[in-house]
Amino acid sequence: MSWLLSALVLLFAFLGAPLFVMILAGAILGFHFSGIPLTVLAIELYRLVDTPLLVALPLFTFAGYVLAESRVAERLVDITRVFFGWMPAGLAVISLFLCALFTAFTGASGVTIVALGALLFPALKTAGYPERFSLGLVTTSGSLGLLIAPSLPLILYGVIVQQMDLPKTFSLQELFIAGLLPALLMIALLTLFSIWQTRGHLVTKHEFSRREAFATLWAARWELPLPFLVLGGIYSGMFAVSEAAVVTAVYVLLVETVILREVSARKLLELTRESMVMGGGILVILGVSLAFTNFLIDAEVPQALFELMQMYIVDKLTFLILLNIVLLLLGAFLDIFSALVIMLPMIVPLALGYGVDPVHLGIIFLANMQIGYFTPPIGMNLFIASFRFNRPVLELSLATLPFMLVMLAALIIITYVPEVSLILLDR
Amino acid sequence: MRHFRQLTRLLHLLEDTLLVSSFAVMLLLGSMQILLRNLDLGLGFVWIEPLLRSLVLWLALLGAMVASRDNRHIRIDLLSRYLEGRTARRAWILVNLVSACVTGFMAVAGMALVGFEYEDQTTLSSGLPVWVVQLIIPFSFTVISLRFLRLAITEVQTEEVEIWER
Repeated sequence: MSWLLSALVLLFAFLGAPLFVMILAGAILGFHFSGIPLTVLAIELYRLVDTPLLVALPLFTFAGYVLAESRVAERLVDITRVFFGWMPAGLAVISLFLCALFTAFTGASGVTIVALGALLFPALKTAGYPERFSLGLVTTSGSLGLLIAPSLPLILYGVIVQQMDLPKTFSLQELFIAGLLPALLMIALLTLFSIWQTRGHLVTKHEFSRREAFATLWAARWELPLPFLVLGGIYSGMFAVSEAAVVTAVYVLLVETVILREVSARKLLELTRESMVMGGGILVILGVSLAFTNFLIDAEVPQALFELMQMYIVDKLTFLILLNIVLLLLGAFLDIFSALVIMLPMIVPLALGYGVDPVHLGIIFLANMQIGYFTPPIGMNLFIASFRFNRPVLELSLATLPFMLVMLAALIIITYVPEVSLILLDR
Repeated sequence: MRHFRQLTRLLHLLEDTLLVSSFAVMLLLGSMQILLRNLDLGLGFVWIEPLLRSLVLWLALLGAMVASRDNRHIRIDLLSRYLEGRTARRAWILVNLVSACVTGFMAVAGMALVGFEYEDQTTLSSGLPVWVVQLIIPFSFTVISLRFLRLAITEVQTEEVEIWER
């Protein structure tokens, strides 16, 4: 009976029922069959209030929306062209860094492709980079930055796992530091690939001029301190994450609406509403999944799963291979926030059982999701790029394929060499 | 019918106002907390944290309410793309009816929780009663549930019109 009903819930989810409703349905069924009164659902939802870190989520979402609306992307591209246009493959390489930073701040949802990619693509083409390479580059770069603070998925991973009462704990700070080298590794491999790809191509180099350089820097004088302020504050431990979120939101709000006036008051109201619909959507899924996770743990489901798996999979290595395959598949069709709340309650206890460090697991998880974003033919960023650049999804799939192989190489290193994530930490 | 439409518009305005102003309050309280913590003005700031956290709950549920108004929830949606015509519509009706039931359950559970807390009379350190914070749970889920019901009904109606026209 309970199996039949669970299958029904899954069917409805696939038919298009909102995710939070289906997780809620799962929790209702679970608690009902364990004979627990359903008031517990509301009590579990109210536990959203017990997590101080969550305050950061709506604040960063808001800041991301405002930044994407302003002309900051334009200014950043100008700076890049002037300062790095003279280097071989300079523009391509700096595009990678820029996109990573932009995604870290705007919350990784295709915003980077829409706001920044749309400017970088013509700039790359004008500079003489092959079209297919440029398309692949901007589509791939959209998801770089997931591993860099203050990216929302990274924060969410920390929040969810900290809720689970694990024997092995970690701080958000540690998670942020762990993401640094893997993110750099991905960028480094993509850089090598870009230089190799564009060798022999006649790329027009932009002459460096001191006057132009000063002008572009001056134009971005208000936004430039932000990454230093926030990243410096978080990585040095000067700010708590929620404080950094407040500072970012207030700073962005002041700069874009009061000082630069690129976002009107009316637009601001609309952006607030939009960003809160997005942030609220994530939070509510998180809230109901707290209830569901609790039911799973009460029913000892992860433990049963672990025992079942141990009959087939004995060692950590096989487990990690399986994990990568499952996550790549999931990342292709599940939105990243949903993937986090649905999969973590199952995967984290399993991974710990096989001796994987929870911090390392977070990095593996997000690195997989990052590739899932542009896995052909269903990765979300392929559709966003297809829409933005007016190209068929197939063309984008082919253009991103070589980049995907490079990212897979990075993923393999990140997964099987835990030191890449953990070496900067005392673990 | 006209009154009903006016009422709906009023509800939309209320939702939007609550959503935007909850965020504004969060921004304000967050800034205040940082200022009071760092400038030693002798003013307490411990009361701010629980309020900020309560606002997270409010933003989550108000955001979900507005999302349900525009039918913009996050979904997996793998099968429905392959369904067409009558089958797709039937599935859609069913999905919305089930969603209405599930969220209806949550509304009832929320109501019960508010009832318990009202009797307990616990308050946050700022003096705000906990049941007031929790009130958003039954309120939002009732509205969300009714919206799923409405989506299902609209779909049934279009189906009926088509049968008549045939």
